[in-house]
Amino acid sequence: MAGADKILIAKLGLDIHWRGAMIVSRFLRDSGKEVVYLVNSFPEEIVDAALEEGVSVVGLSTLCGNHLTLGPKVVQLLKERGAGDVAVFIGGTIPPADIPRLKAAGLTEVFPPESSLSHILECVNSCSVVS
Amino acid sequence: MSIFNDDKVKKLEQGYEEWAEERAKGIAGAGDYTTDSGIPMKLLYTPVDIKDFEYEDIGFSGAPPFVRGIYPNMYRGRMFTQRQLAGFGTPSDLNKRFKYLLKHGATGVNTLFDLPTIRGYDSDCPQAAGNVGDCGCSVDSVLDIEELYDGIPIDEVSVSVVTHLPSTNVAILAMYIVMAEKRGIPFEKLSGTNQNDFIMETCVGSAPEILPPRASFRLQCDAVEYSTKHLPRWNPISYNGYNLREAGTDAITEVGVALSNAIATSEELIRRGMKVDDFARRLSFFWDLFNDFFEEIAKCRASRKVYHDIMKERLNAQAERSLLMRYHVQTAGITLTAKEPLNNIARSAIQGLAAILGGAQSLHIDSYDEAYSAPTEEASLVSLRTQQIIGVETNVTNTVDPLAGSYFVEHLTKEVADRIKAYIAKIDEMGGLVAAVESGWLHNEIANYAYEMQGETESGKRQIAGVNYFPQEGRASETIEVFSYPEETEELQKEKLRTFRKSRDDAKHKKCMDELRAVCHRDENVMPYVIDAVKAFATLGEIEDVFRTEFGLWQFPLV
Repeated sequence: MAGADKILIAKLGLDIHWRGAMIVSRFLRDSGKEVVYLVNSFPEEIVDAALEEGVSVVGLSTLCGNHLTLGPKVVQLLKERGAGDVAVFIGGTIPPADIPRLKAAGLTEVFPPESSLSHILECVNSCSVVS
Repeated sequence: MSIFNDDKVKKLEQGYEEWAEERAKGIAGAGDYTTDSGIPMKLLYTPVDIKDFEYEDIGFSGAPPFVRGIYPNMYRGRMFTQRQLAGFGTPSDLNKRFKYLLKHGATGVNTLFDLPTIRGYDSDCPQAAGNVGDCGCSVDSVLDIEELYDGIPIDEVSVSVVTHLPSTNVAILAMYIVMAEKRGIPFEKLSGTNQNDFIMETCVGSAPEILPPRASFRLQCDAVEYSTKHLPRWNPISYNGYNLREAGTDAITEVGVALSNAIATSEELIRRGMKVDDFARRLSFFWDLFNDFFEEIAKCRASRKVYHDIMKERLNAQAERSLLMRYHVQTAGITLTAKEPLNNIARSAIQGLAAILGGAQSLHIDSYDEAYSAPTEEASLVSLRTQQIIGVETNVTNTVDPLAGSYFVEHLTKEVADRIKAYIAKIDEMGGLVAAVESGWLHNEIANYAYEMQGETESGKRQIAGVNYFPQEGRASETIEVFSYPEETEELQKEKLRTFRKSRDDAKHKKCMDELRAVCHRDENVMPYVIDAVKAFATLGEIEDVFRTEFGLWQFPLV
């Protein structure tokens, strides 16, 4: 199988909406990926789990406006702990103007509302496996 | 006895078959159609489809079984409450938005809190970082509640306090009561609604720390019991079908679960020695209306019928007031699209119209920009105007339940009612709603449904204008003004908390917290103890910490 095959999906911080995260997790699992679903977590816990599980991609889901504060923090903590090659995706209600800011902060992909599952899968497949 | 004459129905049956054979066979559109909940839809409905219909099944407006509406004169007597949800920033920011909406004709206010508040964390708690004042207003203490409703005539306008979770609700309700007492407003004048639903706490929203279903359910019932005894005009619960539906269910599950919760609450309060007629009069509901226009109207009508039957037959309510279902509607946020956002005005207007044709008591219309952010002031004004257009320009409010008697609508109303009853029976078999939640069954219902819906949208089976139905290829990303939250909220709230904590009598505070801790382990209502704690300047987060420590935490089971 191409690309990353182990992914961690987490609800970012206090955001309560689990519909999107659950749908993406199921779809990736049904597409043959190994998915670790981490319920609501803060950046430190997410990075701990990512390192422990040895995933290649971390997917963050949030619909409550904390993407600009907590999203970049995950990227930064991964770098600090020598795991800068783990790709970080973020999806949810993210205003278009924030997308360039998130990319500039090192998030690999941003999935605003109406992103298709197949597009998310393509992005996962284009990530290389973390050695 | 049916209102239809048997012989005429037989003739019609024959006539229908002939029509189907001679005129409708093999024509376009002859295949299977269904409603959003999977109820078959025929091409044409006739009296044959409601041949057993008895007028008493629906009755007159303002009379049992209340299918046609809960008041005899419905909107002629009182226009539906135009209650737009609002919440962001500090309490004083939101106070200004309330005043703006009231000035433009809103007849109620609807308070939304930020996530740290909803999940019971103070603004200076590490978990709250980055979320203070986002998606709702930040509340840490009774001082914030005072600031929030300052200058709002809470003895005149009805105030919805969207506390979501029972654990948060007991604290915020206590703060509201203490605030009213301080303003000298008699409790019998307080009119409003709490959203207080253990399904919200344990199924609909995920969170780092969740109370076990039984603890959350107990707090839910504590607030209902306390309000029934002390706040005669207050609705202590709004069974929240809305957020469950948004999380991922169909209309049948939405109503079936909410009604099962009403049954569970009633049984618990009866166990505590209350009479059903004492508390049933103030139970209220909250529905989500999607785009399936007739099914949603049928749902509104059917839910009143099922509720009536449950309260009367199962719970033996005697007072007429106990048998009527009152509900608030919010249009379906999940149906709003990010692509071509102005189209959402049309979607929301259609959903809002269904709410009024269905007989809603109050309405919130979602704003077109909600796939991007909380609504801007301009977008929330469009929503309020949409309500006003339905209310005064269309004449739909001039007559009661105008769709009654439609072969299709009456058939669908009965079908929806039967399916809701069957769903409740299924939950009964699992040992009631609390047990069903503990088992993870409801979480999987949500997960399966949401996953299926997404598949249908991506495959194009479910069509959405501008998204997968005639999308504009290569359309640049939308230029839309997005609401930005006031950035300084977190610092302002933290500063206020520091002063607040310094100003209290520590010994008194500790005593109240100890008493609150103890009552968690007794079969006794927590409300009086929470009120005492609020008066001793306990913060929201401190009260919730007591619950988290004393009741323990729970993670919902998900396959």
